[in-house]
Amino acid sequence: MLGRHVARAAVVAAALAWAGSAAAGPKVVSGPGEDPKCFKPWDQKTGYLQWTARKPPFRVALVNGFVGNTWRIQMVQTAKAFAEDPSVKPLIKDFRVVSTGTDAAAQLGAIEDFINQGFDAIITIAVSPTGFDRVIRAANRSDVVLVPFDNVLDTKDVMQVNEDQLEMGRIHGRWILEQAGKSGTILEVRGLPGNSVDRDRHLGFREVLEAPGNSYKIVEVVGNWDDGTAQKAVADALSVHGKFDGMFVQGGTTGAVRALIDAGHPMIPVSGEAENGFRKLIAEKNIKGLSVGQSPGLVAIAMKAALSALQGKVMPQLVSVPIPMESYKTLAAGKNYWPELGDNFFTGNAFPDCGVNLSATEIMAQTKEDKK
Amino acid sequence: MSDLRLRLAQNRGLIGAILMFALLYGLYSVLHPRGGSGPLLVQNANESFALVLAAMAQTLPVLTGGLDLSVGPLMTLVNCLASQVLNGGPADLALGIALCLGAGLLGGFVNGCLVVYGRVQPIVATLASGAVFTGIALLLRPTPGGEIDKDLSFGLTYDLAELAATFGLFDDGKAPWFAPFAGLPTPVLLVVAIVVLVWLPFRASVTGRGCYAVGSSEGAAYMSGIAVDRSRLAAYMLAGLFAATAGLYLALQTGSGNADAPQAAAYTLNSIAAVVIGGTSLFGGSGGVVGSIFGALVLRAISFNFRVFDPGSWLGALADPLLQPFVEGLVLLLAVSLGAARVLRVRNRLHLFG
Repeated sequence: MLGRHVARAAVVAAALAWAGSAAAGPKVVSGPGEDPKCFKPWDQKTGYLQWTARKPPFRVALVNGFVGNTWRIQMVQTAKAFAEDPSVKPLIKDFRVVSTGTDAAAQLGAIEDFINQGFDAIITIAVSPTGFDRVIRAANRSDVVLVPFDNVLDTKDVMQVNEDQLEMGRIHGRWILEQAGKSGTILEVRGLPGNSVDRDRHLGFREVLEAPGNSYKIVEVVGNWDDGTAQKAVADALSVHGKFDGMFVQGGTTGAVRALIDAGHPMIPVSGEAENGFRKLIAEKNIKGLSVGQSPGLVAIAMKAALSALQGKVMPQLVSVPIPMESYKTLAAGKNYWPELGDNFFTGNAFPDCGVNLSATEIMAQTKEDKK
Repeated sequence: MSDLRLRLAQNRGLIGAILMFALLYGLYSVLHPRGGSGPLLVQNANESFALVLAAMAQTLPVLTGGLDLSVGPLMTLVNCLASQVLNGGPADLALGIALCLGAGLLGGFVNGCLVVYGRVQPIVATLASGAVFTGIALLLRPTPGGEIDKDLSFGLTYDLAELAATFGLFDDGKAPWFAPFAGLPTPVLLVVAIVVLVWLPFRASVTGRGCYAVGSSEGAAYMSGIAVDRSRLAAYMLAGLFAATAGLYLALQTGSGNADAPQAAAYTLNSIAAVVIGGTSLFGGSGGVVGSIFGALVLRAISFNFRVFDPGSWLGALADPLLQPFVEGLVLLLAVSLGAARVLRVRNRLHLFG
């Protein structure tokens, strides 16, 4: 029994010793932060972090998880293009990208590896919202700036970058409200069930549409953010309900609109994702469409935030990236959609507030270079 | 002399895997600015542990001529269970660990029963039980999270110094005689301990040798009076135990549980690849757990290298983020083919077992 008590005391001592050694890392400071138009704090409660300033150029790594859908591929290409951007190139001396698959141990290992290699900043899309305590500790111990984006972590200890999914849902809702009037039958095509992004977009959308004064009948189907699934779900909904007055699609919008066209349904207001195919259809079929997206270009904002933090700027702990959107009124071929490119391309890549203007052509150029 | 030659011939797969690992890990260590240093060894060992144990788990059913598609799901199930039970006082923790390992044994027992008594093809039986395990994992942990005792987690996933400090052994790890060992990564020692305390005694036992015999020729094993059913059942149970250890460790490492089905599938597939690289025949009857350990390490070492290649060099071109899965697959194919190449040279297939 005595041994056990001694062991516990040692545990406490070890924990205290560890707390002491973890003093490196960012300081919690008060705002306002650097460039609040680009690095917009998530809400009023968002705290601010500051790292010790150091001299560029920096070594930056991108640790991606799963690779294998267009969004991820475009994200990786955007990151590489951004690292070559004249405004960023002088700040980076070494930029590495690895994709670790869906294996948490491999992703944690890769992040720790780059910390051990002495990298200054690591950008990552976490494969799981939890389980990163260990690498956060390691990063802080070595004063490395770790920036999760897109799939963020349930923690306040690191700087993170994302778009506000709830607000995105509200934007879709407002467009339907504006274009379809205050009543009618609306088709809502949801994303991957069980995912927090799907949940938040849905809640935001419903919040606007179900506000007092509106009387909608909302039909809900599941499209899994996938063109094929969405197309089938919409086709089924059309055969059951006949006619809709508006449609909101979380993802797979090209497929959903194709289902409308195939059924000979009149073109109704559609609010959807930022796929190039959807934007092509808006222009072709004169759809009163709004195209809003979770942009693969988020990676560029995350990199910019990391570089800014490395230079000792005060940064919000959670950065809310402005949501890129275009409506049928603002669409311009070759500027925010590309009729000659494929449907699967995500168009929302420009963030004028952040000075990030990576056009699709730049990203395509990056692809060509890789093929050599 | 001829004894040595025979031993070398029998362990060609194992030796190949060790050489391949030495080559890949050597390259990585040379290119890494802190190659061979303590923290790096700890990190690499941590990253490899779960896959090493999954590969060990996969080896046993393969030795008996079967296959276990539920290795990844069972590991995930135990990972989720661990995130529920691994907290509280020392007694709770001990009970929690026992529960996790027990769950693994039980899972393996179910697989074994399906194969032995249900007479279902192992690949089908474990595909089905794997789906069930994933389902239970989701029930236990619908969203990722959970809490795991931090001391246990720190103690077991760093080096011996941390382990000693956490559990108050050897003057908190500061005893002079302890210094030379203090930098050894705990996960490496855990694997060595499992091999020495579990695998080697099992292989030497009648049941263990029975597994090899069943895999070589079930009919001959039966005619020789070997307890075929018992050997098979033991193989699946031991596989369950190893898979549970993998899941338990993943929970300690991440401090949480996550019922991630794609991750489970990735572990199952990688465990099969590791077994093959390690020289265990997919037809059963030859090979062993130690080979699979190095097979798993080869797999991990391939991806380690992507992190250290200079993007400007020709090696960097191989490490292009979109080419990585392709290059990984290519090296894997090469590794497996090297192991299979000797089939081309034998005059009689029986030599393969000699």
